[in-house]
Amino acid sequence: MENTQTKSFYSDKLKRAIHLLLFRRGKMPGAREWELKEKVGKNYEQVLTQLNQLLAELDLEVKKVIEPRSEAIATEGEPAPLEEARYFVTLKGTLGLKEAKMIGWRIDNLAALSASVAFLVSKQGKAPREDVEKLLAHKFGRWKAATLVDIFLRTGYLEEDDAGTMALGWRTRSEVDLRALMTKMAEAKL
Amino acid sequence: MTEKAKSRRIGLASGRKELKEVVETCDAISERKFNPFFLDVKLGVDTLRQYFPYWERFEDHCLDAHALNRLSEVVRLQNTQLKFQSSALYADPEFIGRKVERMSEKRLAEVFLQSWHPLTGLEQLTQEVISEALNYWNLLLPIEERWKKRGYERGRDPQKADSSTLDGLGIHGEEFSKKLTSLWNELLQQYSSGQKQIDYWQFIKGQSHTHTVQRAYFVSFLVTYGYAKLHVEQDRLALIPVEQPTMKAAAGAVSFPIPIPREA
Repeated sequence: MENTQTKSFYSDKLKRAIHLLLFRRGKMPGAREWELKEKVGKNYEQVLTQLNQLLAELDLEVKKVIEPRSEAIATEGEPAPLEEARYFVTLKGTLGLKEAKMIGWRIDNLAALSASVAFLVSKQGKAPREDVEKLLAHKFGRWKAATLVDIFLRTGYLEEDDAGTMALGWRTRSEVDLRALMTKMAEAKL
Repeated sequence: MTEKAKSRRIGLASGRKELKEVVETCDAISERKFNPFFLDVKLGVDTLRQYFPYWERFEDHCLDAHALNRLSEVVRLQNTQLKFQSSALYADPEFIGRKVERMSEKRLAEVFLQSWHPLTGLEQLTQEVISEALNYWNLLLPIEERWKKRGYERGRDPQKADSSTLDGLGIHGEEFSKKLTSLWNELLQQYSSGQKQIDYWQFIKGQSHTHTVQRAYFVSFLVTYGYAKLHVEQDRLALIPVEQPTMKAAAGAVSFPIPIPREA
């Protein structure tokens, strides 16, 4: 009896958690830690673990990404944390070239993103925009390089500050396994 | 001025200059333009120490503190770089650059796909999106008005220019009359030297393109006010001076535009 009660309790929370994670409410997808705590409860981490088990069968997983803190979660009496976590549902495995094309990605865009991210990682995550454009221009031409950088900025894969310094964007931090990328890049045969 | 004071002044000037250079180098390193190890921090600190006794003004001390702050930032970046180099993510930027240059686009895309786990999410209308759309709709003019606006676009209206401006440009006043007379005399001289018809292009040709345009401009006045006649025969333009000009614009005159190419 007790076991059944626990299950139903979780199933309700699971629904709420997956709704928060999948349906986009603001500019960015996923759910913030405080949102999950508020809507799912203090034991949200246990709920997410159980949700992960269910999603694994569909080749999906819940991923936690630490990002710079926004002003939204300062609570009274508590010191404000320096970072906040956001949870996303991502693909657990990887896509093939054909699948990537099917979801709207062009090969040259993927190649350019790959080059930009690897270059930025090798530069400790930051580099002047001109350097990134110069790298891409060698393969794609000057005009296309500038357009590609703009696309990556717009889609959140890269970020640029006022001084024109580029960095890895929230989407790269959430979607790309940087360690794997750098290893594959080093190992890649020409 | 004593020798001591003189050397102090020199020390002050060169100290300020060197500290500014240190700050600029540190800033460039912070902006990732140079490797953090490009700067010898010890040398930077020694420079601060060397010039510290010379500082007199509040601004000098501020510059000193600022330079020290920037040097500490470089030390922090050096520390980060060392940590990064000992991590699994480290790869030489030049090596990555060369790889990217030599790898095919397909291979690059494949490498990326092997480490890419795209996000899933469902997009639907949200309050924010609806309010943005509403604002856009409210600001959007009907298509007829947008097209009308485009059709009636016009440049800047002509502006008035007073006599002094025109005099300055040499197209009004005594200077203008002198130039016209001199050009007419030149035309008469060439005509009296035996040329029956003077080639228009040869006559207007000046030392530069600007000069050519100016001569063509004055010739247009000579023709309009009857000092010369312009003959058009097939592709050839010829000028014939009039010895007793009417000094009035001919009745029923027509406009005859002559474009002047750069090479003329």
